[in-house]
Amino acid sequence: MRVVIADDAMLMREGLARLLSDAGFEVTGKYADGDELVRRMGAAGAEVAIVDIRMPPTHTDEGLVAAERIRHSHPEVGVLVLSQYLESRYAMRLLESHPDRVGYLLKERVSDIAVLGDALKRVHEGECVVDPTIVARLVKRSRNDALADLTEREREVLGLMAEGHSNRGICDKLFLSPKTVEAHVGRILQKLNLPESVEYHRRVLAVLTYLRQTAPQE
Amino acid sequence: MPNRLAGIGGREVRLALWPLTAALAVTTLALGRSHPDDSFAGRAVLGGAIEVGAALALAAAGLLFWASRPQNRIGPLLVAAAPAWLLPEWGNNSEGGVAPLFTLGLVGFCACAPFVAHVALAYPSGRLQQQPARALAAIGYAAAVGLIGLAPTTVFDPRAEFCTACPRNLVLVHANAGLAEEISRLGIRVAIGWAILTGLLLTVRLVRSSRPALKATGPVLAATIAYLGFACADLWHGMRRGYLTNDPTDVHLWRLQGATLILLSAGVVWGLIRARRTRTSVAQLVVELGQSPRVGGARDMLASALGDPNLQLAYRRRSAGGYVDIEGDPVAPGTAADRATTPLVRDGRELAVVVHDAELLNDPGLFEDAVAAARLAVENESLQAEVRAQMNEIRASRARIVAAADAERRHLERDLHDGAQQRLVGLSLGVRLLRNEAARSGTRDRITELDDADAELRLALAELRDIAHGIYPAVLSDEGLAAALETLSERLPAGVRLGTLPDGRFPASVEAAAYFAAAEIVRDLPEADGGASIEVLCKDGGLVVAVERAGHMVDADERLVEIADRVGALDGEIDVRSRTNGHIRMKAKIPCV
Repeated sequence: MRVVIADDAMLMREGLARLLSDAGFEVTGKYADGDELVRRMGAAGAEVAIVDIRMPPTHTDEGLVAAERIRHSHPEVGVLVLSQYLESRYAMRLLESHPDRVGYLLKERVSDIAVLGDALKRVHEGECVVDPTIVARLVKRSRNDALADLTEREREVLGLMAEGHSNRGICDKLFLSPKTVEAHVGRILQKLNLPESVEYHRRVLAVLTYLRQTAPQE
Repeated sequence: MPNRLAGIGGREVRLALWPLTAALAVTTLALGRSHPDDSFAGRAVLGGAIEVGAALALAAAGLLFWASRPQNRIGPLLVAAAPAWLLPEWGNNSEGGVAPLFTLGLVGFCACAPFVAHVALAYPSGRLQQQPARALAAIGYAAAVGLIGLAPTTVFDPRAEFCTACPRNLVLVHANAGLAEEISRLGIRVAIGWAILTGLLLTVRLVRSSRPALKATGPVLAATIAYLGFACADLWHGMRRGYLTNDPTDVHLWRLQGATLILLSAGVVWGLIRARRTRTSVAQLVVELGQSPRVGGARDMLASALGDPNLQLAYRRRSAGGYVDIEGDPVAPGTAADRATTPLVRDGRELAVVVHDAELLNDPGLFEDAVAAARLAVENESLQAEVRAQMNEIRASRARIVAAADAERRHLERDLHDGAQQRLVGLSLGVRLLRNEAARSGTRDRITELDDADAELRLALAELRDIAHGIYPAVLSDEGLAAALETLSERLPAGVRLGTLPDGRFPASVEAAAYFAAAEIVRDLPEADGGASIEVLCKDGGLVVAVERAGHMVDADERLVEIADRVGALDGEIDVRSRTNGHIRMKAKIPCV
């Protein structure tokens, strides 16, 4: 798979490139800021772009802006945003603008090439990816009324749905049959009062939005 | 100049002038009655009344003004206008007169107009302040006394012309009736032009006057304009024949001039009465200030006592430079053209400045009285203004300190995020690469060691992230208060409820104060039963942060003081209610400057 990297920290950029090359990815471009990345996008012929969320000039959300621009100008290219922020807000912003072929991963996770490779593969295939740490925190703190009704297994499935896994992916992860997963998903959506026939990409957003809600007004 | 006037204008002189003028008027009247055909007044009662009335009115107004403001020229000028008004009667008088008075009458036939015009041009200060006014006053005297009076008289012999019984013309040099007429006609032309210009200048001044100035000078200016109009008509009438005399039209216009002079004198006296009334209100001011030392009252009372609603009182700072108003806010004393600035000094130190209508300086006594009456209140208020100004400075400096601390926090967060955190991630990546190499070369011990190191690094990263977020959440500066509080709630136990949050952005210091007030209250919420709620409302242009929490709040007092300090630095306040079970409810009101 052809990958380009945009990160203003040289150590990070080079390390990541080496890690990916070792794992069999082809790194076709390394850039220090979002503008350069977007400019060179066509020439690099990449399938997925890895983008740091904070880059020059303002060090705020350049990565998210670059992701939106790439998804707009090169719809076939996936974007994986790397961030130090654990807050779901930034991931939501990314998903809300383009709910497919995008991923939001905590930066320190990239050293685990298995996680990184899996995320790149899923983004490339059109899924979306949300860092498990973020989802785990949301599930843990989320209001307890409706979630309390879920079984242990259902909560596990809910977490994977929020991370962006498709039914197939959930099957593979939990070693369950497609039928069982489908049944779980249906029940979960029903218990959380979410539309059951919701399409995959919307489902991720719906589940995340649900988890982000705070306790209901008393 | 004023001092010299004060010198000649002693009380005795003024007292002597009263009977002197009266005697002069009565004598002139008697002179007219003895030769009614040569007189303006004649034997007519109205004529006589106007003749004596105008002279006495001018003299009385002049002497009263003189007594009230001894250093002002208006008084002497008005007094001088009285005999000038009577002079034409002597010059007309043909038989049995006295030569010096007859000659004076011939020369001063037209002398009243320039005196009256001079009064109006200099009224009420007594000074001719602008170049055009000075020029017009000078031209007036030159035309009326020089060209119409003295110059033709030197070549005019009345005994050769029309009256053999007339007294001798004492300034006659060489009789030439034609030349006398020519010079006289020229003088009349110049005088007509002068009267028109002077009338115009006075009209412009009248129209442009501010309201208080109009009240003070309006009657005098208007009467003078009317007087000059009639004088001008009379000159026009006389120009056709080349000399001035007392035909029926002349007499008619002369009476009208006399009437306007009486009005003018009345206007001057009214101005004096008005000033006295204002003085009475200044006396009132003393009483009022003694009774109710209202804050900011000194300015209002000075303004009403002096009849200048726009009066400004600016207090001089004691420690720092510049001026402040009663609220302690910096002000720049106004410098408009028609405003004057008068400093109030005590013990050689400037206490305050009064910016007021420049007209007020024309009655310096009045101004001084008013200021003297208000002095105690002004002194008192200058202290208050100073205290308030210092309070304002302290408040501003408090806000600056908090803002600086916030900026420092933001920098620190940024440094941690883009520095230490970034490096640790890079390091973790490096460790992972080493581990991969070790895996390839098959050194199992090394792999375990590197895995342990990586795990430590991740822990360090997680801790560092929490610290950075606690110092200053990036989302607060990036996306504002609502986003930051939403994010905050993600880190808190399940029971935290977020109420209404305001959309939109607020000044950074306000957002930070609101955020940290809420964050500080819910910081150590216990995992179990950690009920809390956060709500932020926009109210009266400010934010109201309402936070409620259950469970024991560790070091509650210190933390609440910290919140109060931060909110107080923005002029806000907090209200805390706590119950015995540790339940705390805090409301912080933060104004948005």
